[in-house]
Amino acid sequence: MKKYFAINIGRQIGSGGRAVAKIISEKLQINVYDKKLLKSASDHTGFNQECFEKADEESSRNPIRSLLFANFSDNGMAKNYMSNDSLFTMQSDAIRKIHEQESCIFIGRCADYTLRDSDLTLNVFLAATTEDRIERICSIENCSEDKARSIMADADKKRASYYNYYTGKKWGDSSSYDICLSTSTFGYEKCAEMIIELAKEKFGL
Amino acid sequence: MSEQRTPTELGTERIGKLILTYAVPAIIAMVASSLYNIVDRAFIGHGVDALALSGLAITFPLINLSAALGSMVGVGSGTMISLKLGQRDHETAQTILGNSITLNVLVGVIFGALGLIFINPILTLFGATESTIEYARDYMIYILIGNVFTHLYLGINCILRSAGHPKKAMAATIGTVLLNTILDYFFIMVFHWGIAGAAIATVISQVLAFIWQCFQLSDKNELIRFRKGTYRLRKDLVSNIITIGLSPCLMNAASCFVVLLINRGLLEHGGDLAIGAYGIVNSIAFIFIMIVMGFNQAMQPIAGYNYGAGQYNRVIKVLKLTILFATLTTTAGFLIGELFPGLCIKIFTRDEALIDIARNGMRIVFMLYPFIGFQMVTGNFFQSIGKPVRSIIMSLSRQLIILIPCLIILPNYFGINGVWYSMPVADGLSVILALTFLLMEMKNLKKLTSATPNI
Repeated sequence: MKKYFAINIGRQIGSGGRAVAKIISEKLQINVYDKKLLKSASDHTGFNQECFEKADEESSRNPIRSLLFANFSDNGMAKNYMSNDSLFTMQSDAIRKIHEQESCIFIGRCADYTLRDSDLTLNVFLAATTEDRIERICSIENCSEDKARSIMADADKKRASYYNYYTGKKWGDSSSYDICLSTSTFGYEKCAEMIIELAKEKFGL
Repeated sequence: MSEQRTPTELGTERIGKLILTYAVPAIIAMVASSLYNIVDRAFIGHGVDALALSGLAITFPLINLSAALGSMVGVGSGTMISLKLGQRDHETAQTILGNSITLNVLVGVIFGALGLIFINPILTLFGATESTIEYARDYMIYILIGNVFTHLYLGINCILRSAGHPKKAMAATIGTVLLNTILDYFFIMVFHWGIAGAAIATVISQVLAFIWQCFQLSDKNELIRFRKGTYRLRKDLVSNIITIGLSPCLMNAASCFVVLLINRGLLEHGGDLAIGAYGIVNSIAFIFIMIVMGFNQAMQPIAGYNYGAGQYNRVIKVLKLTILFATLTTTAGFLIGELFPGLCIKIFTRDEALIDIARNGMRIVFMLYPFIGFQMVTGNFFQSIGKPVRSIIMSLSRQLIILIPCLIILPNYFGINGVWYSMPVADGLSVILALTFLLMEMKNLKKLTSATPNI
């Protein structure tokens, strides 16, 4: 059986994770799964994509709040397919399945944790300086600097609690990753190159 | 592949058959746990006396409060374990089991100790008087001593269910009910230990069930079992367990508060016996409520799966059928409550004064029962299709938001009947709320149905 590799990218918002992933994907000719993952999860389970989108939004909106509500009366006696936990589990199943079928890049969604038993993964975390992140958020969201600052603080908190809840690890903690890079120091192009270099080394491409 | 594949039968099998397959075991488990109270009450009512029933009813919200804390740990760790099993993270799942044991011991011992130290003021607050406090105390002392085992037993049962052993969990539930019944008979009828006998029977049956559970979870072949080094509390796990378990815990705690208000209202306007009467009415009403909850548990996976899969026709169908089954159940309760109240009450007591109060209460409490099934199913339906906020508003409305003001206001004008009537008033208003929510959602569902053609 042919083995496939996965590059899992965790990233701070505004650090250019998607841009780096895109460069890698073009150079290695592999797919990037971020929002697209929701579509695959939907294909694998027969569940509507909107359900996953809703869970994705909810868990990234306020994980604690959605936890409180999602598990209300969910006493383990009956399975609740529409709970965020259940949808997360289906999404993880989709990640494992994709990993069996192709080499690709996963952005976020705790893919590093889901694929922790696979040898063929490279776990990357991308960070950047606050100034650079704000600048990038401003240009993507087309908003003021203050607005960008609050989006950033919000998103960091949410990503962290989503990741910490589902993995039991600490988001952004260096021990979870094979390499942590600053896109501010090296730029997207160079970061992508280094990741590819490491992937080649690790996977023997 | 993963342990819990989504069974495709949920998307294809006939809805009526699905509901029954899923509902029967759920109903058995739910009814068994409510039989527990009925058996205790029946033995105490016949083997001790009518005031002992009031003493027992006073302790009811206190016992529920303890169960609420237990359910916080149980539901929280059960949910976490099934999530981790879905991720094939058996290591963490085992650590959660160990942590939940430690938490249960901590919570159980603290609650038991505080309860024992402050037993007199607590029971007085809950509505005990000079003539009932002896009974309540005799019962509660043993329950509080055994409290830690109650927590462990209930907590492990939650985990057994989540870890893919619902049958073992059910066996434990039914086993404790049977054991409790047999022990009740000997302790109360043969040895004449009075109300304390019922408490000792409860504790012994739960301790034995706990020991049996321990054997189950020590099996080396089990995926989830007791292991050294998992008992030390881990901050992140504990905070997740509590976060998840908090809302069911608060809901239970709130319903204890409501029972406390009811008991105090009944005491003030109807005396000691009225509390016992409510205990009787509540036990009977609970059987029907539990059956509906069993149907709800069956609906949840069927409705959720089909909603996710976009088979909205089937979603509507399962909702309609569940409402039908639930309505039949609560209508049966209504007919029994209105036509043969005396018959049911005599299961618990021969005391004429008590029978009269309970009969009057029962007729009022069951007044709007034919509609309650609909209300409960609708609330759970929103939960099943991933809209829990509406579900919470609905169950809060019936049990809290409407009921509490009624309980405070109505008795001032109508005395004891004001307390009784608070329940159908809350029922009626919450049924109207449920109907409003459901009509809104039906429009939505119909639109989705016509947008996606189905077979």
